[in-house]
Amino acid sequence: MAVEPVAPLGGLFEPELVSIGADGIPTVSVPLAELLDTIAKVRGPLQHSRFVDVTAVDRLSRENRFELVYLFYSMELRSWLRLKTRTDREAPSITALVPGANWFERELYDLFGIEFQGHPELRRIMLPDDWQGHPLRRTEPLGAEPVDFTVTRKVYGHDD
Amino acid sequence: MSDDTAGKSGAPGLILSRLEDWARESSLWPVTFGLACCAIEMMAMSASRFDVARFGSELFRASPRQADLMIVAGRVSQKMRPVLREVYDQMPEPKWVISMGDCASCSGVFNNYALIQGVDKVVPVDVYVPACPPTPEALLDSIIKLKERIAADSRSARHGAQTSPGLGIPHDGVSFQG
Amino acid sequence: MATTTDAAEPRELLTVNMGPQHPSTHGVLRLELTLDGEVVVKCRPVIGYLHTGIEKTFEAKTYVQGVVLTDRMDYLNPLGNNLAYALSIEKLMSCDIPPRATVLRVLLAELTRLASHLMFVGSVALDLGASSPFLYCWREREKILDFFEGISGVRMMTSFIRPGGLARDIEPPLLAQISTFIDAMPAYIDSYEGLLTGNPIFRERTEGIGLLPADEALALGVTGPALRGSGVALDIRKANPYCGYETYDFDVPTGTVGDCFDRYLVRVAEMRESVKLCRQTLDSLPSGAVQTSDRKVMPPPRAELAKSMEAVIHHFKLWTEGIRPPAGEAYVGVESPRGELGFYIVSDGTGRPIRVHERAPSFANLQALPRITEGGVVADVVACIASLDPIMGEVDR
Repeated sequence: MAVEPVAPLGGLFEPELVSIGADGIPTVSVPLAELLDTIAKVRGPLQHSRFVDVTAVDRLSRENRFELVYLFYSMELRSWLRLKTRTDREAPSITALVPGANWFERELYDLFGIEFQGHPELRRIMLPDDWQGHPLRRTEPLGAEPVDFTVTRKVYGHDD
Repeated sequence: MSDDTAGKSGAPGLILSRLEDWARESSLWPVTFGLACCAIEMMAMSASRFDVARFGSELFRASPRQADLMIVAGRVSQKMRPVLREVYDQMPEPKWVISMGDCASCSGVFNNYALIQGVDKVVPVDVYVPACPPTPEALLDSIIKLKERIAADSRSARHGAQTSPGLGIPHDGVSFQG
Repeated sequence: MATTTDAAEPRELLTVNMGPQHPSTHGVLRLELTLDGEVVVKCRPVIGYLHTGIEKTFEAKTYVQGVVLTDRMDYLNPLGNNLAYALSIEKLMSCDIPPRATVLRVLLAELTRLASHLMFVGSVALDLGASSPFLYCWREREKILDFFEGISGVRMMTSFIRPGGLARDIEPPLLAQISTFIDAMPAYIDSYEGLLTGNPIFRERTEGIGLLPADEALALGVTGPALRGSGVALDIRKANPYCGYETYDFDVPTGTVGDCFDRYLVRVAEMRESVKLCRQTLDSLPSGAVQTSDRKVMPPPRAELAKSMEAVIHHFKLWTEGIRPPAGEAYVGVESPRGELGFYIVSDGTGRPIRVHERAPSFANLQALPRITEGGVVADVVACIASLDPIMGEVDR
């Protein structure tokens, strides 16, 4: 991954924090404590005000296993900008700045177990309210049921 | 044959029960239970090219109280499971269930935590229609097969299929209470 | 039950449940409506009734097996989903697509957009009580589905656009049939407009209903025709062209007020633009291959296996391990009939992704539903849902 020259990002970030991925979208990585300030910078001076997406990737590392990935778009510059941070369990909610992030954060709470501080209604959204577990974590199983093929009945002990 | 021809004897009883069978199979009204992609093909079946109305399913009833056929068209998730059972329970007898598509029959491509692996774990199914999604012609074929069975004897044709035993995992086709 | 005191008599608020089994909620959407008489005081959508765990299932499949899953997310735009997924993987693998495949991808994406908007016009009319436009729109939609069946063998879930190109080529006789259909389409669109656009009942039920101001739409993350109906001219095909969209001549229709009628007009105008785009792709279709020659992505043709050892090895690796993008991530935003669609794919260099996330336009658009229904009457809720055109398959994934 090449390091992007700082100029297009307005000199607001240290060069080591910025990279460009295979899709050409500049990516800024910041620690969790600076997340809200960085989002304010991204949406303000950098003009990427339209919120597109927030998702998480389970990196399975010992510390800060979840990588939160925010995607913003600039209507003026017609470009995307990606913002990444790492967390173990909690993150500040951005719904006060961006109302559209509401359901996205609820989905991450439901499927990953990441708790967003300050979210107006942090409850499960996809799975039933009494569901146990957070399935999209890579430590959780897929939950596949063994398929009842006649040729494998002996294996599963139902040879009748 | 029928459970309750005891009250009806002889030729009039037979004619009456034949009339019942004919009436039931000629006016199967499905309840709108389109869930996902199969619902689109079910809509295609009710559109003018395939036209299920000529087979008697003139109207899809929104209220299960007014329907006698439930076509489970699509994948049933964990959250939807009690809803499926409740809608089925609200339908008056006699009622039949068609499991449309791979997802309803056996969860199709999605063998995972989120879907119930076949609706026959929740409701008894009469006809399974394979394919993903089945073409409207396949769904019409399933309705015709069901009609043939109903025309033969509409009382014992109910719940003709046993719920699938799967792998000995007890199925809990629970009724949604309250 | 909460009570609001009016001057004369205390009023009670009534909570009504709408869905998830409902003929007009466009799938398994549940709404908890709090009503003060006929007025909707609060509308709370409850989703998740179609949660299929698709994003988790991607992690258990190879990249090409994953194409099959993408069809079933936004099931009215299967080829568009295939395209977005393929574009992300091609970015990860830095893979070039031959020109014929690129042009055919645009043709298929626009035909799918036409089919989706035909379904929209039919269902918005049906939801409001007009049953004939549904049958007319489906007559044309069936023709498009016949083309898909001729191309791939499957009416809907074609899985035809794959990483590296298309599954196979489209033969000239079929292209000629598509061309004839495209020429006839504007007259059909005129006939739908004749039934609905000037219809006083339709207009009364959609004009001034479900107003969504542009700034609120942007804040809520709304994209697509719902955003363009509010006057914001954002179309990814124009702003960030992919698949050669910059070489075609088409307009981006926008509304003015942001009501249900504007969103309907935008989609009908988009149907006309899609027809123009299809015409241009058919006229400018180059000859050549429809699959990349990069053997790390697409398998070699069978005939080559008899001649080249390398071809055999590539074939073997692709069929046993699947394609293996280098470690990294990619997101490509495309314009689906519902808005900005994109697949964020994270690869660790093996044959299976570690994360595939779909940025589903309907998921964001549906967050606008409380905004456009609250303050209106309960009879307009159906028109509002229909105008946002949500597909629960991609909302819940």
